[in-house]
Amino acid sequence: MNDSMYAQWLALACGAFLLAGVLVLWRRDLAAIVRLFALQGVALGAMVVVLGLRQGSVHLVAVAVGVGALRAGLLPYLMRRALDTPPPGNGTAGEEARETRPLVNVATSLLAAAVLALVAYAVSQPIVRLSPGPATQAVPVALTVLLVGFFVLVTRRRALSQVVGFLLIDNAITATAFLTTSGVPLVVELGVSLDVLLAVLVLQVLTTRMRAAFGGTDLGELRELHD
Amino acid sequence: MTLLVGAPVLLPALAGCLYAVLGWRPATAWLGAVAAAGSLAAAIALAAVTADGPRQALGGLLRADSLSAFMLIVIGAVALLAMLASPAYLAAESAAGHGGPRAARRYGMFTQGFVAAMALAVLAASLGVLWVAVEATTILTAFLVGHRRTREATEAAWKYVVICSVGIALALLGVVLLHYAGQHAGVDAGAGLDWAVLAGHAAALDPGVTRMAVALLVLGFGAKAGLAPMNAWLPDAHSQAPAPVSALMSGVLLSVAFYAILRVKVISDAALGAGFTRTLLLAAALGSLAVAAALLIAQRDYKRMLAYSSIEHMGLLALGAAIGGRLALMAVLLHILGHGLAKSVLFLSAGHINLAAGSSRITAIRGLARRAPLLAGAFGLGLAAVLGLPPFSLFASEIGIVRAGFRSGAWAGWATGAALVLLLVVFAAVARHAGRMLLGPPQFSDAAGPDDPAGAVRLLPRTAALPLVAGLAAAAVLGVWTGPLRPLLETAATIAGVTP
Amino acid sequence: MSGDLMSGLIATVLQVVLVIAGAPLLVGLMRQVRARMEGRAGAGVPQPWRDLRKLLRKEPTEPRDTGWPFRLAPLVLAGTALVVAAVVPLVSTASPLDSAADLFAVTALLALGSVALALGGLDTGTAFGGMGASREVTVLALVEPTILVSVFALSVRAGSTNLGAIVNVTEADPMRVLSPASLLAAVALAVVTIAETGRIPVDNPSTHLELTMIHEAMVLEYSGPDLALIEWASAARLTVLLGLLGSLFLPWGVATAGTGALAVLIGVAAFAVKTAALGVLLAVGEVFMAKLRLFRIPELLAGSFLLALLAVAASFFLAGGA
Repeated sequence: MNDSMYAQWLALACGAFLLAGVLVLWRRDLAAIVRLFALQGVALGAMVVVLGLRQGSVHLVAVAVGVGALRAGLLPYLMRRALDTPPPGNGTAGEEARETRPLVNVATSLLAAAVLALVAYAVSQPIVRLSPGPATQAVPVALTVLLVGFFVLVTRRRALSQVVGFLLIDNAITATAFLTTSGVPLVVELGVSLDVLLAVLVLQVLTTRMRAAFGGTDLGELRELHD
Repeated sequence: MTLLVGAPVLLPALAGCLYAVLGWRPATAWLGAVAAAGSLAAAIALAAVTADGPRQALGGLLRADSLSAFMLIVIGAVALLAMLASPAYLAAESAAGHGGPRAARRYGMFTQGFVAAMALAVLAASLGVLWVAVEATTILTAFLVGHRRTREATEAAWKYVVICSVGIALALLGVVLLHYAGQHAGVDAGAGLDWAVLAGHAAALDPGVTRMAVALLVLGFGAKAGLAPMNAWLPDAHSQAPAPVSALMSGVLLSVAFYAILRVKVISDAALGAGFTRTLLLAAALGSLAVAAALLIAQRDYKRMLAYSSIEHMGLLALGAAIGGRLALMAVLLHILGHGLAKSVLFLSAGHINLAAGSSRITAIRGLARRAPLLAGAFGLGLAAVLGLPPFSLFASEIGIVRAGFRSGAWAGWATGAALVLLLVVFAAVARHAGRMLLGPPQFSDAAGPDDPAGAVRLLPRTAALPLVAGLAAAAVLGVWTGPLRPLLETAATIAGVTP
Repeated sequence: MSGDLMSGLIATVLQVVLVIAGAPLLVGLMRQVRARMEGRAGAGVPQPWRDLRKLLRKEPTEPRDTGWPFRLAPLVLAGTALVVAAVVPLVSTASPLDSAADLFAVTALLALGSVALALGGLDTGTAFGGMGASREVTVLALVEPTILVSVFALSVRAGSTNLGAIVNVTEADPMRVLSPASLLAAVALAVVTIAETGRIPVDNPSTHLELTMIHEAMVLEYSGPDLALIEWASAARLTVLLGLLGSLFLPWGVATAGTGALAVLIGVAAFAVKTAALGVLLAVGEVFMAKLRLFRIPELLAGSFLLALLAVAASFFLAGGA
């Protein structure tokens, strides 16, 4: 794979990664948000494949397949299952499946994402400076997705949206790891993946309990505990 | 050697598996305590073995040095207290109609897994594995926090998992960036996250990237340690979890996360100078103390009061770490142990009070001293310990931190002065609440009749009194005589980075 | 040099004539496609021209109490459309007006036309005119920055904001079209083209429903030759914007400097085919799409602005981004 091909394919994968992350802010339909997340997982896998082909490393390509399978296959599957669980009693299905009243409206969120992209670029300068190259220059993209993930976490009110926000952050960190050093040691990578998988499972169970206890997954209802 | 190093992880893990297979029954009820005692013994043995240098196991994946051994002792001691108290607590819970055999089995599995994960965290040689273990504690304790399945418990569990996982995700980004800086400083790719190797190459680490990484690591592990600004989850989770789990979380989990900060500080101080982490830790320390003081004044719930007291003590630890130096760091380590013991006693006795009174509101409890002298005594003495009164070890360690603070220059003097003012506020607030709860004519909001002669006995079964008394006694003994712990504290403090 | 100038001049003249004559046909084609897909016979491709002829024959009328903004608006709109049609590199990049084909100039000209029409709508003093004007300006406020930013993203690799230079660079290295910056900018520009020309899902050109109409509300009071001028100008703007989209992202066939008459002819054919194809695509899309509710339009446009900004970011930050 020659230099310009490598740079271009990498940029394409990063572009798709970023776009999927940003579009999460735009969609209200939770099923569509999960689809976008899966798409981002595919882009992340493709990014790692490109890095692996560049370095001629079979190991890295194998890791890429694993990363893709977890983030584009298993995690979206789990979330879709949480989404398909029918709500108990009176038909609030329409309310449940959509992010109806985010704390910040969609248009403002999108403009905020633009600001976050600039912040991410400014913050990531030391990282790029240490070893400039096509891969490290894409670190701002990963950090933008990280900040967008935070934004989703803070401003969205459905339980599932928060899970997606958390996973966006995690995707972004994984992308940073691969872009800077082609990944952390395998033991750590496996541990991190397991932790993330278990965290999503735990959150899924808690979502079910929340439906049982609160009759919905609107996080605005979580007001029992305060000082 | 591998077996000895691995024992603190393996024993609880094994006990957890047994609980999964056999369930929680009278025969297995004490299994957890046995495993905890075994880990404590292994930890003490490790402390003796590692006095002359660190020991590795599992191909360099695990490493035990004096600091790890000390943390293992803390984990073992608090786990022993919590596990000794568990059978009585679970019995009382099921008598009160919460949870059945399935919940008890899950409780056994998850508490043991939780202890094993904490032991793994302090034994891990790699920052990455340390991170994985700390995040694993979040996941394992999520269901324990939500044990009761009420609205409050579910809400607390949700906030706990989300805030802690996100906070700790920041630390993962920090780990990734430190790995990146390490690769460019010539660290071998295989050992890229070993903190000893990183500390060895610290001088070559790129300052810009390392600064970001350290800030993220301190912020992320700080979230898990209950330090400001990401401490919102702590009072919710600690007040909703079952009492022995609260004891474990408050007594050791926070300290384990703080241990991670100590390890990062060693690398950062060598790479960036001591000033950087000092600033971060000072901000976190004063912030945590201020939050704790502000929210303790008008606190209405005694379990949350204990949780905020934990935030206050984490702030003190951060202050001590920021001051640095042999005296301060030894005091910090002693403080970790003393706080672990005293706070577990407090949460365990608060659990008994809660079971008896059916409410965790401070106003619902009156005249506990006359109603249940032993329980009131344990609760009162525990509060005296965490408020830093002699003879408890927290008095000695707080004095140590303050003395080191006033000796280390103007900035430390001012910071310590501010901290003392905040401590005074905390003292006044907690003492006032405690006075209301313990003294005066006996009255429970809606419990049994006022002069139920069996009340005192029912409030505190004999087996449940043992861990309370043992914990308080240990904390008091440590206050006057550290004995064989002293050399261990000295080497551990040296490892934690004594800056001359 | 003089040969170059001649061919450039011819190309420009051809381009203007093509837009003038072809714009209504494009609209007719799109209507015909829609009609066929909806199972109707349709009025035929030349129908817009017949409409224009009918309107031109009518006597000009003016509402009472309107002033010069109302009278000038159609002229300004048509004039700006004509100028833009002359300078934008649709058939050839070697036009003698190339130096005027600047990104900022073109955007400003388009905005000028829109503002003139909005003022005309306001000048009638009717409820519909004011409502339409207010909606149009809301859309405009988000559309203009998006056009600027997205074409700016494309201009990074050319090192110039001259549209001709951008098209030249893209034609020299067609793989560049697949770069993230280019893809993001393409999506953003497509969205704002739809908004700017008042098509579904932003506006519906074939209804007069007061809840949703934007463009039609402003021109409600016009009649006769004035209306004909506005209708033609709207069609011309659609043609030019679709043509520009084609030139920027599918630059094949656009004649460059130093090529002969044959290249110009190929350019004309390519322009006609590309624009017609994009128009058909748009019409097909309209059949399957519902109009957005009015308050969701800013979301769509803010999204396209974000895409444009990300395109700029990508073209600057990513090594293979531009």
